[in-house]
Amino acid sequence: MHSRHIFRVLLVVVALQTAACGGDGPAGSSESIAGLKVYRHAMDQAPSTLDPVQASNIYANHVALNAYDTLFSYKYLARPYTLKPNLAAGFPEISEDELTYTIRIKQGVRFVDDPAFPDGKGRELVASDFVYSIKRQFDPAQLPNGTWLWIGRIVGLDAWKEAGSDYSVEVEGLRALDDYTIRIELKRPYPQLLDTFAQGYSAIVPREAVEYYGKEFASHPVGSGPFKVISYDTAKIVFERNKYYRQEPVDIWYEGYDPETQAYTGVEAIDGRSPPFIDRLEIDFIGEDAARWNSFTKGNEVQFTVLPNEQVDQVLSSKHPVTFKPEYAEKYNGYDVVEAGFVFNAFNMDHPEFGYRDDPVEDHRNKLLRCALIKAWDWQARNESFYFGLAKIYPGIIPPVVPEYDPDLSRDSVIRDVAESKRLLAEGGWTKENLPEFVYGSTSGIKTRLFFEQIRSWFKEVGYPPEKMKHKQYATFGDLSKAWRNSELPYVAKAWGLDYPDAENTLQLFYGPNGTPGSNDANYKNPQYDALYEQSAVMRSSPERTRIYRKMNRLVIDDCVAQTGLSRTRIFMWHKNVIALPDRQIVGGFFLKYVDLKTDDADQAQVN
Amino acid sequence: MNAPAASALPARREGLWSKALHKFSRDRAGLISLVIVLLYTIVALGVWAGLWATEWADVTGTKWMPVSSEYWFGTNLIGQDIFQRTLYSTRTAFEVGLVVAVLATAVGALLGAVAGFFSGSWIDEIALWLMGVLDSIPFYLFVAAIAFALQDNPYAMHVAMISTFWTTVARLVRGEVIKLKSLEYVEAAHAIGVPEITIIFRHILPNTFHILLVQGTITFVAAIKSEVILSFLGLGVKDGMSWGLMIAESTLEVMAGFFNNFLAASVFLFVLVMAFNMFSDALQDALDPKKV
Repeated sequence: MHSRHIFRVLLVVVALQTAACGGDGPAGSSESIAGLKVYRHAMDQAPSTLDPVQASNIYANHVALNAYDTLFSYKYLARPYTLKPNLAAGFPEISEDELTYTIRIKQGVRFVDDPAFPDGKGRELVASDFVYSIKRQFDPAQLPNGTWLWIGRIVGLDAWKEAGSDYSVEVEGLRALDDYTIRIELKRPYPQLLDTFAQGYSAIVPREAVEYYGKEFASHPVGSGPFKVISYDTAKIVFERNKYYRQEPVDIWYEGYDPETQAYTGVEAIDGRSPPFIDRLEIDFIGEDAARWNSFTKGNEVQFTVLPNEQVDQVLSSKHPVTFKPEYAEKYNGYDVVEAGFVFNAFNMDHPEFGYRDDPVEDHRNKLLRCALIKAWDWQARNESFYFGLAKIYPGIIPPVVPEYDPDLSRDSVIRDVAESKRLLAEGGWTKENLPEFVYGSTSGIKTRLFFEQIRSWFKEVGYPPEKMKHKQYATFGDLSKAWRNSELPYVAKAWGLDYPDAENTLQLFYGPNGTPGSNDANYKNPQYDALYEQSAVMRSSPERTRIYRKMNRLVIDDCVAQTGLSRTRIFMWHKNVIALPDRQIVGGFFLKYVDLKTDDADQAQVN
Repeated sequence: MNAPAASALPARREGLWSKALHKFSRDRAGLISLVIVLLYTIVALGVWAGLWATEWADVTGTKWMPVSSEYWFGTNLIGQDIFQRTLYSTRTAFEVGLVVAVLATAVGALLGAVAGFFSGSWIDEIALWLMGVLDSIPFYLFVAAIAFALQDNPYAMHVAMISTFWTTVARLVRGEVIKLKSLEYVEAAHAIGVPEITIIFRHILPNTFHILLVQGTITFVAAIKSEVILSFLGLGVKDGMSWGLMIAESTLEVMAGFFNNFLAASVFLFVLVMAFNMFSDALQDALDPKKV
């Protein structure tokens, strides 16, 4: 009797467990929702907000761009990255002096239905929505992060902020001439202006929704993008197709399709059809590499991943060029791309231990110290240890992804030379006794700890006493950024992702007036560099501008301001049934509206 | 004439400590565990004295070198010698274990004795309330809060452990003191006017020493285990090396099929904790008045 009872209980438990394993619910797999095309994407971190005004990182930007529209975006398949009109009806009319831009937007575009609108019906998006969205970046009450893109650029916008950010007051240089025309007047030419209108920061939001949801707007997007958010938490976001999204057939040739290198993606299947092609987009935020990889390889969960570093040797048959082992090539598509950004370490020139000194002799000694530590740095070892030898190492601050990159620049500054490092220390009169304390700031974590131990070991080899090297750990990246902004640390180790494909975006990191709390954490101030920056800032892309950029790059190297640089290689992988060319940098979240699933799988979904 | 002397001799031999020593010496598992603990102690002292594991922080090899005569446990992600790091972690474990065990036991003994001696009074009430409050806070949250409050202080972990581990000692000592204070020798001390403070610390507390010794070894093991877990979570060792940090490092390696960090730290931790637990059990058996 007793054993029979136990048997029944076990039976129930097994049955429940089987049910739990078998049915993942509506979000469980791409085949789980009958008749719907469901694509499951994966990201390694959840966005902290979906409000464009604060979309300051790659994760927020990636996700927000699927709910909102921007005036411009980047061509889906073209490399190098190429700008194209998105919500704008075409490229703008630009005055001869390059100070006035007239941009026409598409008609009939509407926001998704939402309780924020009268009767819950989304209204048409008009030019004044764009004006409102940019003004929000200059309203301190909105806690904006993207102000830097337009500060000091648009006539009257800074003054509007100073006067209290009153939305009823018109800004001279930012106006809606009518419902479909925007007029922008600049103080000086800004060649990257259209690129800034392809950023999540400039995504267009309806004022009603911002006011209706208040702080909740950060987790309740109301846009006109290809998808509508139906649920969002720290583990996952689920979108459904925006049924009002404008019908615009894709021309893959216009998008930059290259059959020689991209045919394997199957994107020819979307030619002539209007996106979005999937009914439901789910993005899982999976922080752990192992968990994300397991989910990806399981087959019926996420359909995209960036190959974790730790899997490189298991998955690749060769690194240069990147090729997959047959068992992976059979099941997955993939490609490698050098990141649009770079990793670098800069000395804080405001700190007298390493930076500028009033006394020229001391100033020179500090420069010798910085140069010595640059020579002690081992990029090759860093690459082998943490990036499996896949990263690209190059001198200076112009990364390979931009057209201004100089492949012929001398590599001296990125080649370790212990003897030279010791010689420079000796020349500067630096000894174990008088070397300053070296503080390495980072977020807490085992990887950053190993970063520090590696640096400590390299520096020890050239005579830097380990006891003078400190590792200061911060609980969050926000805390670390704050320390950088407040110029608290003598050494800044960071990575920078390009906002747009123009070297200006990295060169501004060393522009004097951008010193802390601005983006120039190094507080580098070189009048020659600043003059060149100002000269090039108003120039359109040209050989002359490239020459100036490269000269600035040389100055940063010669002044021994930074150990730089390294661009990581990303290897994207996705299931064979997915039609896509994924991207997570310049094109970013824009690519998701072009994702499609192969018909067989859609049919299979209907059968299920 | 010889009779009293002959009867006095066995009485000395039957003392708690001598009897316990005799019993312990016959406990084979206890002795083996003691030898292991002593070996670890020698390793820790050697590291402390700078005799070995002096290059634990240096990058002397290349990434993930296999086990060899030069690198007994191979090298880690950045080319550091895993064997040296494992040995150095022994010192960290002992340092944390010893500091926490001694201080937590001392605080627990002190407060437990006072609470027990004045049981039923407001002093006892306050001590019990404090123990109740500290015991009700989840340990790892408490450590995180202290680590945050003390910022980069390398002793945040020690403070957190001492703050929580003393309560168990105090409860045991309090119970023992309540029992002891009603014994005749204590009443006699009261009767002849010995000050209360002297009675507590000179006449009662020494008689709880067997509890403190056993509890001290248990706290020692608990501290080592907690240190490893806290270091793994990033709340523990700030500067130095620990088995917990090695296991955390292994999270960057096991997916790539490299297990040396994980195995070295786990085995060293397992053997020490196992040995210390067995030693603690043997000690408890030897010192248990009922069994003695």
